[in-house]
Amino acid sequence: MRLPVLSLLSLACVAFGLNLQGRVQWNEHCSGADELGQAKAVLDNGYRHGSITQDGTFTIPEVPPGIYILSIISHDHVFDKLRVDVLETDTLPEVHPYVPGTPLSSSTTVTLPYPIRLSAAQRLNYYAERQGFNLLGMLNNPMMMMMLVGGGLVFAMPYIMKSLDPEALQTLEKRQAKMSTIQSSLHSGDLKSGLSALMQMGDEDATAATGKSQTESKPSGSGLKQRGGRNKKR
Amino acid sequence: MLRLLSLWLMSLAILPAFAIHASEAGVVDWYKPLIGDALTGNPNLSPVFHRITEDNGKTRSLVLTATSSNVLSGLHPENGSIAWRYLFEDGNRVLAFKKHKNWVAAVSGVGGATVRVLDVSTGHLLHERHLHKPEAGRLLEPDSTGVALAFDSGSHVYALTNGHTVRKIEVSTGKIIWGWTAPDQTSLNVYSTVLPTSSAIYLIGLAKSFASYTLHITSLSPVDGSLLSSVDVPSSIEHGPASLFVLSKPVGESEHARILWLESNQIRSVKLMSGLNETPTAIKAATYRELVDLGLGDHGLLVAVKDDGSGQVIKLNDEGTGLKIIWEFADSADSTQHTASMYTGGLDKAGHPYIGRVFWSRYYKKASAHILAPHLAEGKGLVTGYTLPFETAVHGIIGNVAIDAVNLEEFRVLARVVITTTTGAIQLWQQDQLQWTREEGLADIRVAEFVELPERKLAETGLGEGHETFTGRVRRQISEARDFPHYALHFAKRFVTGSYDSVSSSAMPTTSDVASLSRDTFGFRKILVAATARGKVYGIDSANGEILWSRVFGLGWAAEVGGHVLPLKIYTTRTVMDEETPQVVIVTQRKANNGLLDTVLFHIDALTGEDSTGKSRSSDVLQGIDIIAGALVEAYLVRDEATKFVLLFDEFLQAHVYPDTAENTASFAKLIPSLHFALRTGQVGSLRLTGHRFGLQKEFTGKYIAHPTWTASLAEGEDIQAIIARPHEPVASLGKVLGNRTTMYKYLNPNVVAVVTSSLKAPTPSCAIYLMDVVKGSIIYHSVLPAVSGACDVKAAFTDNWLVYHYYDEDFGVDQAKSYRVVSVEFYEGTGIDDKISSSDLSSHSNASTSVHVLEQTYVFPRGISTMATTMTKFGITSKDLIVAGENGIIQSFPRRFFDPRRPKRKPTNEELEEWLIQYDPVIPDDPKRVLSHTYQVANVRAIITSPALLESTSLVFAHGLDLFSTRVTPSNTFDVLSENFNKAQLVLTISGLALAILITKPMVRNKRLRERWYN
Repeated sequence: MRLPVLSLLSLACVAFGLNLQGRVQWNEHCSGADELGQAKAVLDNGYRHGSITQDGTFTIPEVPPGIYILSIISHDHVFDKLRVDVLETDTLPEVHPYVPGTPLSSSTTVTLPYPIRLSAAQRLNYYAERQGFNLLGMLNNPMMMMMLVGGGLVFAMPYIMKSLDPEALQTLEKRQAKMSTIQSSLHSGDLKSGLSALMQMGDEDATAATGKSQTESKPSGSGLKQRGGRNKKR
Repeated sequence: MLRLLSLWLMSLAILPAFAIHASEAGVVDWYKPLIGDALTGNPNLSPVFHRITEDNGKTRSLVLTATSSNVLSGLHPENGSIAWRYLFEDGNRVLAFKKHKNWVAAVSGVGGATVRVLDVSTGHLLHERHLHKPEAGRLLEPDSTGVALAFDSGSHVYALTNGHTVRKIEVSTGKIIWGWTAPDQTSLNVYSTVLPTSSAIYLIGLAKSFASYTLHITSLSPVDGSLLSSVDVPSSIEHGPASLFVLSKPVGESEHARILWLESNQIRSVKLMSGLNETPTAIKAATYRELVDLGLGDHGLLVAVKDDGSGQVIKLNDEGTGLKIIWEFADSADSTQHTASMYTGGLDKAGHPYIGRVFWSRYYKKASAHILAPHLAEGKGLVTGYTLPFETAVHGIIGNVAIDAVNLEEFRVLARVVITTTTGAIQLWQQDQLQWTREEGLADIRVAEFVELPERKLAETGLGEGHETFTGRVRRQISEARDFPHYALHFAKRFVTGSYDSVSSSAMPTTSDVASLSRDTFGFRKILVAATARGKVYGIDSANGEILWSRVFGLGWAAEVGGHVLPLKIYTTRTVMDEETPQVVIVTQRKANNGLLDTVLFHIDALTGEDSTGKSRSSDVLQGIDIIAGALVEAYLVRDEATKFVLLFDEFLQAHVYPDTAENTASFAKLIPSLHFALRTGQVGSLRLTGHRFGLQKEFTGKYIAHPTWTASLAEGEDIQAIIARPHEPVASLGKVLGNRTTMYKYLNPNVVAVVTSSLKAPTPSCAIYLMDVVKGSIIYHSVLPAVSGACDVKAAFTDNWLVYHYYDEDFGVDQAKSYRVVSVEFYEGTGIDDKISSSDLSSHSNASTSVHVLEQTYVFPRGISTMATTMTKFGITSKDLIVAGENGIIQSFPRRFFDPRRPKRKPTNEELEEWLIQYDPVIPDDPKRVLSHTYQVANVRAIITSPALLESTSLVFAHGLDLFSTRVTPSNTFDVLSENFNKAQLVLTISGLALAILITKPMVRNKRLRERWYN
């Protein structure tokens, strides 16, 4: 209700320049003058300024025509910056939003109401949370999960092995032995023998697969087959 | 906003974020809010008690004061803590304040340009009114002339500004009800006082006539400000507004009021009434020399000092028809036994006035306070007196007093006295007991330096290795062996509980060894030696901000005429590395009140504040060494392999060496061919930078004299604002290895300084920054910056091969914006990569020394700053952060990586990523996690100094201005100690988990092995 009175006053003073009126509106980030502390609204680098009073209003006196950036200087709160155009022809200034670092001329055509209304965009949080000990967080770590799964496998492996039927076990063992020879030959640089061994194994795989399909197909067997296939591609 | 947020996220993702944890706030850092030293001798600005009545009828007091740091503040009289403070802007100096009920009104700016009303209990700004443009203000001498405030009995305040305008302002809304301006606005007619009464508003002023002033009174209608009458009272006042007072006293609905003035040593007075037609009367009893305002004008009380110096209390009589002398203070006449008395007024809870008189007894070396209660003893007046054991060697001279009294029973008066001293201390004494002291001189520190503390052993034994006999050594070791059980116990405890020294704990020692002043494990504890403009030097513990010692600078021969000592430079001439107690030399300028200027050195022990020359006793003021009879041109600390000494130049450019030992003189003589200095010469307003070197022969005076060798070719009217030398610090690497394994060698010429200049009188005012070689005056880098609203506000920091400067650019063309800019400039040798000239070892006379290539980049900085500095570490390996004091009272650090001029303007390639380069963004991200001062409001920071700790990762930071703030920073994180984030529980749990797994699996494996053996 006071604002009309204030703007009337500003009209009276227009001869010297414009008295720029505005108000900081309290919100959840900044609930009042107590929280805001001593703050002021400045144009540009403090060329003209007005203090923010207990009810949030501010007046920047006698602003000559020009284009200015209005910012609120406060210790704990972030406010958006505004572009204020004080015109020679008009008694009311134009207010636009402004993003720091962007050219002043290409500001948006969005016009904000006057008297200026601003509210805190954020209350600054200066402190970093110290990483506390968290069992779940620790278990979520992929390394930890791998370790746990690995540990589990150490215990479970003998039982899995036991539950496999002896024939499959035998082929598995044979394959493992072959794999190790391939690996060792590859490591020693004997590519030729390694490749030939691979080829041989591929053939064997094919025969084993056909042989097996006649009897029964086990999930573990098919898994092994895929592995063999991948090896071949390599 | 989103953009900012994404920038933060980016910075968080890329950088190992250094941030403060809530548990470290107040532990690793400390903060001392100050208000500045209270103004003295002006009842409108000096400390005063104010009693606030709260809603529940209880009352509490505040001490209100304006200070020389341009702050208006309320202090709790119980403990001296700050209830609130209101900071006025620069150039808007507070001229007067007035308290009334729950408000305090203050007028500030030239001629009283701004009136503010604050809530007296919270300090919140209720209203702010700009009354006139600062340019329209009248400059009167002193600047508070023609400015006055007065509350009426309701809720209106009358503000007299510019000496001829008065406005009636409603306090609750801040609305101006009416204004009145005198038709005669010449400087011959200036109003100085406003007195609102129920029937008229009286403006009392002086009109300048031939040799003196004539009293001029105007009365206005309180309703609409219309002129009621305006008269000249026949009078002749010699001393101006200082000898003119108004006494008033409420009587029922109206007031009695009289004006008093001193006219040819007589007190004359006239009654203020509607017609203004009474003729002045005089007190003929005695001749007077001075009238003293007690701040009790509205209780009709005043002290008049007679010609012989004795003080009389003068009161407006109950009818308002005249004045009467109600008391004369005994033994208050001038005497060699005591100093001139200071008078002050105060009120008790019931509103009865009291008058205090405080003086210093030269005979007893104590201060005395006499409190007069005029209403007691059946109206005859009662005086209570006591002595205050005021320490003049510690706090200087009493400059101002304020009192507050309570009448406990019929003949018993208790008083509280607030004393302001010349060293800037504010003290509260309750009777003869000192309640608290605030060292407000620290709000104006001129020079400060971190001084390293010795290790505990050295501090205790006080002797170095090597010169002790065999028996002495055995005895010492036996005595030290007594501590072994304690050590063993401590070791065991440390081993079991893992409570090692942590970098995030306070550097203060635990209670057991507080007494010894010694270094902590990581070297975070140092001593800050700070000298203030109030002529006092303090030793401050950098771990918690406690004042360990303080000394007052003595005036030497100028003690008789008075004067003041202004510190200019501070140098650590001896450190703990020299295996002795550290010492500092403070170079000061002493201005005696008779106009003579001298350069005086104070040489003190940094640990105790004792005079290292041994000339002054520890209970007395410090005695200085008058090294130059005249002004100081420049001073340097010269470092040789063996020695360190201070080199001072007088106005004839003669060199003075201090300490003047044979070793130092020999070292100086040897160094002469390699010493080059750039001195500021010429007139103020067109200073020149001129290079100097010494003549090889001593002159007939027995001193070496410096001769000019070159003059910097600055433009006409270009003035030097600041010379920024590179700090003395180690450089870890001579080059920067790029991603493609090539190297750019840093330009590390040791003789280079940065110079900030201004040419404001030129047709287009501008500022400039130069990098100059002081040996031959060659300009290595030059950049012209815009001057904003007729001033140069360029802040620069220079370290290593990195120059960074900050300014405001108000130019906005196409694709440009008004903003604060920061320019980062890096200097590299030669013409490009892998071009090496060894600039750090090269003679400056070599042609190659100017072979340099410059990389620079401009960024938009989030805010205005008052100063900046770079961090400093022991070996210079840690990357450097820029520490910045923001205009909103924060101290913030910015990693150097953000300022890298090689930040690519596209997505960084793999090679660039290897160098940790991040993509160019015009805006430097503003990360609140890097606000070192977190919730502390560190106001008006004037300088930031940094100092290395024992840990390479850590740098100590101290900021001073109005407030003091100190913390430590780790620009590259604490890489040399286990991180605080290190999860000890996780490690222990993992290890114990593994141990458990081994315990479980071991028997299983054994069983399995056994079975394998058995069955295979």
